[in-house]
Amino acid sequence: MKIGFRRVMAGLLIVCMGGLTAPLPALAGIVGTDTVVAGVERERLASLLERSDVRARLESLGVDATHAKARVAALSDTEAAQLAAQMDQLPAGGDLLGAALLVFLVLLATDIMGYTKIFPFTRSVR
Amino acid sequence: MQFRTTPAAAGVFVLAAALLAGCAAPQISSLVERRPPGLAARAEIAAAPFFPQEAYQCGPASLAAALVHAGREATPESLLPQVFLPARKGSLQAEMLATTRRHRLVAYPLAPLLQDLLREIAAGNPVVVLQNLALSWAPRWHYAVAIGYDLDAREIVLRSGVTRRETMSLDTFEHTWARSGHWAMLALPADRLPVTATETSFIAALAALERVAPAEAHTGYARALARWPGSATAQVGLGNASYAMRDLPGAAAAYLRATRDHPASADAWNNLAQALHELGSRDEALAAARRAVALGGARSQTYRETLEGILRQP
Repeated sequence: MKIGFRRVMAGLLIVCMGGLTAPLPALAGIVGTDTVVAGVERERLASLLERSDVRARLESLGVDATHAKARVAALSDTEAAQLAAQMDQLPAGGDLLGAALLVFLVLLATDIMGYTKIFPFTRSVR
Repeated sequence: MQFRTTPAAAGVFVLAAALLAGCAAPQISSLVERRPPGLAARAEIAAAPFFPQEAYQCGPASLAAALVHAGREATPESLLPQVFLPARKGSLQAEMLATTRRHRLVAYPLAPLLQDLLREIAAGNPVVVLQNLALSWAPRWHYAVAIGYDLDAREIVLRSGVTRRETMSLDTFEHTWARSGHWAMLALPADRLPVTATETSFIAALAALERVAPAEAHTGYARALARWPGSATAQVGLGNASYAMRDLPGAAAAYLRATRDHPASADAWNNLAQALHELGSRDEALAAARRAVALGGARSQTYRETLEGILRQP
């Protein structure tokens, strides 16, 4: 993973300014269980940057700063890396649906066939 | 309803006609055809709690039901600041898992198998599922809690949205569930093993819990070792959870057992060295650290640092 100079500096600044998002999981000398499970040791700085990234993204999506900190701390390294890499592409379950006419018609048909379940009044043929 | 034949409407019905033949879903079809031994024909967790959801808040509502069922205090409102993303009007899967851990429960993602989902329900474990109720190219992501099923009626029972007991065709459910990648999770107290648990997945779930709730993770590792006594990772995890709680003698004892059962586990030797070092047993710590360095492997750098750390202090 290539880390740009500006990201490294930004990360270091965040760390220096006391904005550490999570206690460092690996204490001196101990190999953490997440590392044993993953089989590889994640680079400490990369992991730190990912977490500060995710925290900033959560805040930009309307999460209060203190809550964002606690939320990031509860993520595993793998989850933090996944969110840092692709939060915008991941589904956010919440029943949001853009209601264009074509979509409406397709859904009506697929509901009746039992592929989807959008309209309370449809009963699938099966 | 009458359609003037617009190209869009025509397309829809051509599509409908083409697909109509195949609305049975693959997993449920094979389950019904060949009923697996030991899978109950029907089950329902009637006592599973229900929180009707506010707009877009199916994540907090579903999770609250699962947490309360596992004996924790939660409401959709109390979970909003933990699991809801206002600008996305929804909840991420990773945060559903993370929030479960913040309530000191094991967040266990299920294998993408309908049979496993049904087995967990039959064992009394409500399953939080992610569905895409609409289409892959126009998704409507929705969390619900699966709490019952009936194989003969080919139906699943959900706590979903504002409906306390929604019955849905298992075929339709499987289609909507498949579009989320068959995503499902349990929220369970650490002393309770999912009936479909595999050693690797359960211990990975405990490792994630360990950073938030080491005491519960400790309970979980002990439970895992009762089921899989030979697991080196669970033995090291048991030590790490003790270490995180600053129980150094407990940690050293667990690491020692790990090195006896798995003398080739360099991680176990390394962690044993560190715990013994902090307990003041310098000679034994040095011997253990040297074993780790001699075994080497992907983390040999860490092992050398542990050894140097011990050597630095007289």
